[in-house]
Amino acid sequence: MSIDDETLMAYADGELDPLAARRVERAIAADPALADRVDRHRALRARIAAGFAPIAEERVPDRLSDMLGRKVVRLADHAPRRAIPRWQVAAAMAACLIVGLILGLGVQPPGSVIARGDGLYASGPLARALDDQPGGATGAVRVAVSFRDRQGGYCRVFSSVAADGIACRDAAGWALRQTRPGTVAPTAAYAQAGSAGPDLMAAAQDMMAGAPLDAAGEVRARARGWR
Amino acid sequence: MLALLPRLRRFARALARDAADADDLCQVTVEKALLARASWQPGTRMDSWMYRIMRNAWIDTTRSRGRSAETFVEAEAGASVGGDGGAEARVALGEVEAAMRALPAEQREAVALVLVEGLAYREAADVLDIPMGTLTSRLVRGRQALMVQLGEAA
Repeated sequence: MSIDDETLMAYADGELDPLAARRVERAIAADPALADRVDRHRALRARIAAGFAPIAEERVPDRLSDMLGRKVVRLADHAPRRAIPRWQVAAAMAACLIVGLILGLGVQPPGSVIARGDGLYASGPLARALDDQPGGATGAVRVAVSFRDRQGGYCRVFSSVAADGIACRDAAGWALRQTRPGTVAPTAAYAQAGSAGPDLMAAAQDMMAGAPLDAAGEVRARARGWR
Repeated sequence: MLALLPRLRRFARALARDAADADDLCQVTVEKALLARASWQPGTRMDSWMYRIMRNAWIDTTRSRGRSAETFVEAEAGASVGGDGGAEARVALGEVEAAMRALPAEQREAVALVLVEGLAYREAADVLDIPMGTLTSRLVRGRQALMVQLGEAA
């Protein structure tokens, strides 16, 4: 079955109704080339969004905010500012190269992922890093981007020795919404870029409401326990 | 409205040809929005309303600039090589911004609303005041062009 690019694009953007989406999914299952085109649409979307995201993180020039007649308390004046710049997105992608744990094969190291109720949650060092570690900091766990999802919850894109993924804070802890296995053997620290990086960033982009949090936003979210 | 400024600046940057133009566009948009405040219906989305004002202001600017550019095109043809469109400005531009700038206006605005601002197709079509089918065809052509520009074509 042939599917035009417009339909694939709408599928990639989650704009198809369930019936049409199922039709596309069937076609994709039969033709890997279609899956590849959908991936390219998602990767492009993530790249374009990431390219412009830092602008929304910049300080709004006074001449604009002053027009609205209110002096804004600028957090940027109090804390060193770190926007989510391109390098950080690149770092996120690079970080996704770090050896991942193959979750599905039961090679989980003790203490980073636990099954709880209806899903997987971060525990141990991973949970602590998600609670406390600022985006961009290096360590056994790295957080690339933090954002709020459409339901208003906080989510963080992370990579670690155990796994790469997206974790969202709920009442029970950091629920793992997305997980990716590593793309290399556990002995090597880094490897060639796999598909997990852009893929994960695209998934984050799909979940995201508005722009990623800046450094000040992360500090505020952390102070509130990410709730 | 204050809370919308960061997103409006981002949208402006996706539309305009450089950062200075983008902030000028923001300023014009805020002015127009303040003047037209009464026409915003409480309960409707203020962001869509402001995107629409900005997009229309941008179209007006490009049109009037198009006319003056025609008049001066010959005189400036040589100077523009080293002018503000020159190497320095280009280095400052990200690849993504440069690729956006190469798109025709109607594709650029569709891409800016959906991919940069994250609007649903329906919302974007409403902002642009065009049918859904027109939006999706502009969007898909814009994306195909961007994939080629950014080296993601098959």
